[in-house]
Amino acid sequence: MSDLIGYLLTGLGIGAGFALVGSGLVAIHRVTRVVNFAQGGFAVLAALLTSTLLSAGLPHGVAESGGVALGALAGLVVGVIAIGRPGTSPGTSLIVTLGLGVLAYAIEVLIWGDQPRSFPGLTGVAEVGDARVPAHYLLILAVTAVVFALMAWFFARTDPGRALTACASNRYAAQVVGIDVRRMGLLAFTLGGALGGLAGVLTTPVQQVTFDSDVTLIVNGFAAAILGGLSRPMVTLAGGLLLGVTQTVVAGYGGGAYQLEVALVLMLTVMIVQAARTGPVPEAAR
Amino acid sequence: MTGAIDISALTVRYAGATALDDVSLTVPHHGLTALIGANGAGKTTLVKALCGLIRPDHGTITVDGRIAHVPEGREMFPDMTVDDNLRLGGWRTRRRDTAAIYDLFPGLAALRARRAGTLSGGQQQMVAIGRALMADPDVLVVDELSLGLAPMVVTSLVDHLVTLHTTRDLSVLLIEQNARLALDLCHYAYVLESGRIALHGPAPILARDPRVTAAYLGGHIQVTDE
Amino acid sequence: MNRWTIGAVAAVTLALPPLLPERHLATFVLLLLAATVTVGVSLLMGYAGQVSLGQASFYAIGAYAAALPAVHGVPTLLGLALAPVAAAVAAVLLGAPLLRLRGHHLAFATLAVQLILLSLLAQADWAGGAIGLQGVPRLTIVGVELRDVGYAYTAWLVLAAALLIARNVVDSRPGRALRAAATSETAAAASGVAVGRHRLAVFTLSAAMAGLAGGVYAFYLGYLSPGSFPVLLSIEFVVMAVVGGLGTIAGPVVGATVIVLLVQLLNTLGTLPGMPDYAPSVLSYAVYAVLLIVCVLYLPRGLAPALRLRRTADPNA
Repeated sequence: MSDLIGYLLTGLGIGAGFALVGSGLVAIHRVTRVVNFAQGGFAVLAALLTSTLLSAGLPHGVAESGGVALGALAGLVVGVIAIGRPGTSPGTSLIVTLGLGVLAYAIEVLIWGDQPRSFPGLTGVAEVGDARVPAHYLLILAVTAVVFALMAWFFARTDPGRALTACASNRYAAQVVGIDVRRMGLLAFTLGGALGGLAGVLTTPVQQVTFDSDVTLIVNGFAAAILGGLSRPMVTLAGGLLLGVTQTVVAGYGGGAYQLEVALVLMLTVMIVQAARTGPVPEAAR
Repeated sequence: MTGAIDISALTVRYAGATALDDVSLTVPHHGLTALIGANGAGKTTLVKALCGLIRPDHGTITVDGRIAHVPEGREMFPDMTVDDNLRLGGWRTRRRDTAAIYDLFPGLAALRARRAGTLSGGQQQMVAIGRALMADPDVLVVDELSLGLAPMVVTSLVDHLVTLHTTRDLSVLLIEQNARLALDLCHYAYVLESGRIALHGPAPILARDPRVTAAYLGGHIQVTDE
Repeated sequence: MNRWTIGAVAAVTLALPPLLPERHLATFVLLLLAATVTVGVSLLMGYAGQVSLGQASFYAIGAYAAALPAVHGVPTLLGLALAPVAAAVAAVLLGAPLLRLRGHHLAFATLAVQLILLSLLAQADWAGGAIGLQGVPRLTIVGVELRDVGYAYTAWLVLAAALLIARNVVDSRPGRALRAAATSETAAAASGVAVGRHRLAVFTLSAAMAGLAGGVYAFYLGYLSPGSFPVLLSIEFVVMAVVGGLGTIAGPVVGATVIVLLVQLLNTLGTLPGMPDYAPSVLSYAVYAVLLIVCVLYLPRGLAPALRLRRTADPNA
């Protein structure tokens, strides 16, 4: 029983990371219709910079903020290149973000090398019931809960948030009322970058990061986001948590080698079921 | 010329096809002007050019003051509330207070927290007009006000529009497929056919013009020297 | 591209292998194999309008299908014949559910398939697990064991066959229908084209091409592991297809040649004395990325058509 509670809590912590990466994908996709393949790269960049800042002696909090800021900046840059040219189709933008993801490899290996890195997070062990869980997992959960609450508030209650929601809801109407949809797209990319960066900064203390960790992150994030059709942040949160718990439980009860397959098979199943229900939608039409 | 809207020799081509050909049109200050024409005559293209959504190949558009647009099909933000829809109308002017709109359309006040996508067509049209008014416009471009709405609903919307026009000194360009409605309501009218202005003149005179009557009944306008 | 150009390219590439030093011969063989896979990717992207980020899976399936029986004493030629068949069968089984997906959904699905395959291979002890298969015998054709030059000619034949098939597919009635489907699926469906079946056919054909190339690769290197087929390899094939120009016959060859030679050159630069040990990988990542981005944004039809256009635009050049 205490094993199960332990697996659940660590699973929720891991899943929160997936949910953050996934919600970055959602933030970008609902406004721009672009699936950002470089999303995992934001997490990697942020984590690597944080490790450097920490070893340079910066205190916790400052170093992590620096990492998230780099994620946001990287998001903006990816946005400018991927959607900056008028008339770039979402399909073309997908390939561009794929290219930028590979470019990030070059930059990361150049600066940080190709060896795994990590940095300490919250130390100590928390006792929940009769289970003992590294306290950092609880920190991940708490921060994620706050971030998602902030996001809900931002999208529903602030002007830029409403404008982003408006672009997602009806792009043409957004243009009619004078919203610059391309600028909103760039804002969405920046936000997506910050969310990806946050995921990297939060999970690196419990999972090492290498320059190519982005593949695992993007696949898990996409699997979480696809549940909500790449457009619903709260479903993405639920999807990410579910995914994290399933993987940890599978690993905990002996299927450790098959963790990633859980996400992959879930993602494939959801997509195929969704396609069977709605019929094939030609995306080129957009 | 110094109207609220001055369009001069406007030409727009799509992939070789000419959608608008040398169109000139004026909406005077405080005027109620109609642009009528059948589907595909080029009305939508003209609206998009007017709102800066497409770039004309030739000609000029001058707008004196602020322009706001009530688009064809109402174009709600369907999953956002009525209040948020209205509020977004003030995006350009940073105006966020929607109370004045509810004074104008008391029927909307009770619906302010409803999702716009769940409203009836007439209610949505009110939201669309209210959203445009949030921009404090000097000129209002109303695209297909009556499309898909019941006659009684249209009458009530027209009353609102006339009130707005008189009480707020609003210049209006009404773009309509329903020529009878447009000619009854407006002072001056233009007839657009195949991308060209085929006819124009004071609305009461156009309404009696046999060419317009024929077109209104579905015939073809014979263009003769003016 | 006219008959003379094709003849000249064929003649030069046929004359080349015996003249190349061993190091460059390896580049030559791998270039031809990459071009073969890219022919399939280009068919899929250019004619069926679908992005596959998992084409290296079929390359891997072909390689393992050829190598595994050979390791257990089955004649190598039979193993080579098995390679495209295994890849095609896998494509039919996977394609039936996956090809309902479009655009980024299909891109992620193919990526997922490759990750699953790599993970399964790494855990499959009968396939050598994560360490891989060692001692794959060399390819023997009618009693003659192939040397390096022999592989160059085998790869040349494989690529030529893939190009011939691709050309015939493109010119065929289903090929034209598919091109229509890539631009407007509804229109193609309305005109009575069985889009789904044609798309599965192209998917299977592209997998078979990758499988055959993978088979040659297995015998040429004599060693296989899951690490030989990273996700990045799939992305490389997409880069080659996009850089060369989607939907052209010459495109995959041009794309593969440009990328392989450029990466080779940068590798040489990166391994010069005084360069840091990460230089080769940094340079090759950067080349893939920059070429992909620039081509997609500024040369959407790729290098091959761009070169030709420039020539026709300036007859004096």
